Amino acid sequence: MNKKIDFTLNGKAVSRDVPTHRLLLDLLRDEIGATGTKEGCGTGDCGACTVMMNGKPVNSCLILSGELAGADIVTIEGLKIGAELHAVQKAFVQDGGAQCGYCTPGMLMMSKALLDSNNNPSEEEIRYALSGNLCRCTGYAKIVQAVQDAAAMLRSKNP
Amino acid sequence: MSKAKNFSVVGKRVQRVEGFDKVTGDSKFIADIHLPGMLTGRILRSPYPHARIRSIDTSKAEKLRGVRAVVTAEDTIKRPWGAFFADQYILSVGKTRYVGEEVAAVAAIDPDIAEEALDLIEVDWEPLPGVFDADEAMLDGAPLVHDDKPNNIAMHLDLERGNIVQAFADSDIIVEDTFTSMPQWHCAIETIGSVAEYSPNGKYTIYMNTQTLFNARYRIATALGVPETDVRVIQSAVGGGFGGKSCDDNNALVCAVLARKAGKPVRVINTREEEFLAGCRPRVFMKINVKLGFKKDGRIRAKELKVIADNGAYSAKAPAITGVAAMRHDTCYKYSDVKLEAKLIYTNKIPTGAFRGFGNPSAEWAVEQAIDLGAHALGIDPLEIARINAAETGYVSPHGNRVTSCELKQCLDMVENMIDWKAKRANKQPNTGMGLACTVHVSGKRHFGDYDGSSATIKINEDGKALILSGEGECGQGVHTAMCQIAAEELGVPVEDVEISRADTDLTTFCLGAFASRLTYVSGNAVKNAATNVKQQLYEQAAEMLEANAADLISRDGRIFVQGAEGKSVTVADVARARLFRHNGAPIVGSGSFDADSVLPDSTRFGNESGAYNYGVQAAQVHVDPLTGQVKVLQMVVASDCGTVIYPIGAEGQVEGGLAQGIGYALTEGLQFDEGRPLNPNFSDYRIPSMRDMPPLQHAFADSYEPTGPFGAKGLGELNMDPTAAVINNAIFDAVGVRVKTLPITPEKILRALKEKKG
Ligand code: FES
Ligand code: FES
Repeated sequence: MNKKIDFTLNGKAVSRDVPTHRLLLDLLRDEIGATGTKEGCGTGDCGACTVMMNGKPVNSCLILSGELAGADIVTIEGLKIGAELHAVQKAFVQDGGAQCGYCTPGMLMMSKALLDSNNNPSEEEIRYALSGNLCRCTGYAKIVQAVQDAAAMLRSKNP
Repeated sequence: MSKAKNFSVVGKRVQRVEGFDKVTGDSKFIADIHLPGMLTGRILRSPYPHARIRSIDTSKAEKLRGVRAVVTAEDTIKRPWGAFFADQYILSVGKTRYVGEEVAAVAAIDPDIAEEALDLIEVDWEPLPGVFDADEAMLDGAPLVHDDKPNNIAMHLDLERGNIVQAFADSDIIVEDTFTSMPQWHCAIETIGSVAEYSPNGKYTIYMNTQTLFNARYRIATALGVPETDVRVIQSAVGGGFGGKSCDDNNALVCAVLARKAGKPVRVINTREEEFLAGCRPRVFMKINVKLGFKKDGRIRAKELKVIADNGAYSAKAPAITGVAAMRHDTCYKYSDVKLEAKLIYTNKIPTGAFRGFGNPSAEWAVEQAIDLGAHALGIDPLEIARINAAETGYVSPHGNRVTSCELKQCLDMVENMIDWKAKRANKQPNTGMGLACTVHVSGKRHFGDYDGSSATIKINEDGKALILSGEGECGQGVHTAMCQIAAEELGVPVEDVEISRADTDLTTFCLGAFASRLTYVSGNAVKNAATNVKQQLYEQAAEMLEANAADLISRDGRIFVQGAEGKSVTVADVARARLFRHNGAPIVGSGSFDADSVLPDSTRFGNESGAYNYGVQAAQVHVDPLTGQVKVLQMVVASDCGTVIYPIGAEGQVEGGLAQGIGYALTEGLQFDEGRPLNPNFSDYRIPSMRDMPPLQHAFADSYEPTGPFGAKGLGELNMDPTAAVINNAIFDAVGVRVKTLPITPEKILRALKEKKG
């Protein structure tokens, strides 16, 4: 069943006529062409598809378009602040938090969600918050480091 | 004195060349490639582990609105193909041999229609008895997976170097045990996929997330029955490979056949479940019986290995992998007399294949535990046993591997200090233990024909920037950054002034691709040689401009000047333009090649298989809860000898990532089969390590220099996957005195072993 859905994507109003069972992930990637968000499993087990919905991180492979009415969605494409990288993006580049980079968009969105609520997370808190985001390349050491460095950057900007 | 040399770009903490695109979502992975009019392809897979196909009726599927092509083996030339043995087809011919095998495929205007069309294909199946266990498969009368392979034997190796009977007779003690490894899936977070286009002039253009473009092109051309030039393979960004994307599967082939029939571009991307069933070829699982003879002083005197390896239904790279499992470790310690017997056996399960470590993790799981058994039997510290036997520079293994640099002993010292080995052992706490293991790997391996080389071209643009053209590709590990550093170092320009192209079989020269930890060493040498060639051309032109001798020139930071007279210089950009924009001008462009000084092993598998060998040591401290069997890895330390470290952030990432895969292999990763049917083909049941599963880790690189490497570098990528399972099991044994003999080491198995020990 098709339905007209209105929501906000990265600050812009979007209106689409889509089947209500279409997954948010597929809507973003195939219909809107926002391919920064990745699919790793399609079953909610890897976190590669993480986006922010109404300020909370969600697995976009588990969200149906029908649930989107009025929602505020932020994806990796909306993480930059103007032309400038977000602190967590800068830290991932600087520390080598991305190897192949496939888990990275989801990892960055989840890190942003953590840092939005806690700009001084302990290593333990980082590992807990990001444990649903699988990475097969890095062994996570550099990701933890990058999130810590991003937190420090954010704190020095907004002490 | 330090062996490492000081360089201006090599060894510096430069950032990843693709860093920006990776954090903005702009990297174009295979699923991000959209061609106009592109269709979605889906594959009908065998539900049976072994079945005859009496007939296939595709008529209903063809009639479904929105379907543009339906293909079966009738749309192919039915020519078998494969990495070492040609034993698999694009789509099943006559019968299927494992659950998940490709039987037919559909291309349609959207994924829902493609799925629906699969349901409309009618296959008349005749299920056949299957064989699922390598030991049973060898018995007379067992069902045959391939009619022309008696007793399902795909390969049989039987070798002796020296005199094994005498060597065991000379030994003071002998230890022996059998260890079983498990299949392991690569689980790159990006699955395998392809986008193919066919033009009526006969040319296929295929975007692939492969790690080996030219091998892919060769296999695709073979299976399609067209010349290699009619297949163009272009590499997309690759979301992790680890050996799984080295084109032993059928994804791209099915995609190409669909594109030809549909006359439109088609994309086929594996779902996660398909990736488990029939995508990447999982690690070959092996049962390894190992017997070691030691002298009283700890020297290894004799080694005998018996390997039974499960090939699955088709061969992929398992023949070479089984050979590595049987032989590679003989380059780690100083062995004199060794014997090995290895059998590779067909079964009705997913074909196995290349995964980081290539046979070494299975072998080290067994052999490094046998070394530990020997240490305990002799009452010698396991670290001392390793030190007594460790290979050194100049060592030649019984199989002819020649070691041109080796810092294994240094790695042992480093690990000893990092984990405080002696103090912790002296102060042993209940249920807590220490373990270690050593490892060796190659830097390239000569086995695809008599060649383990690479080539690269570098051109200097009018603005003075250098572009490397290389067909080796980048599969996520960061090799492109290392190549830019090597070129920058040789050219004397800043690393920001060097770029590297995407790999494309039409535009780049022949390269073997990413496997066998070969790129930094083999491709690095080719890139360095190309840069030397280009530098010579720059100097000739600059000599004219500076009125000097080319031989007196040097370059630094993008400027060329006479040594000692830095005041008067020209920029690389000035030189490139002066050479180009004039009567009879020419661009500055140069190529370089390199072929490792290795030899193709002979019929007895004797011969130096690689140009250089890399070494490492890992140690762990674990705690085992005797009530639950839970293992907690309290600490891991790693020392690696990879020669000069070119790109430190990337090298560290290889160690950390390899170790994580080793920990998964040791503790959690295992696919359960029921009559050949995988029971847990998903991430919630097949558990790879998450951020919370990683132990505290400390690691470091040995002070090392490989004389044949580019600026002293050798390979690294696989080294730290190899020994981890043995390290952890050795530590568990030290903690609670039991050994689980099959991977993964689960709490249930530990509890069972503890119960048996109590009696
Ligand atoms: S793709 Fe959504 S959690 Fe894996
Ligand atoms: S960087 Fe490759 S999966 Fe995380």
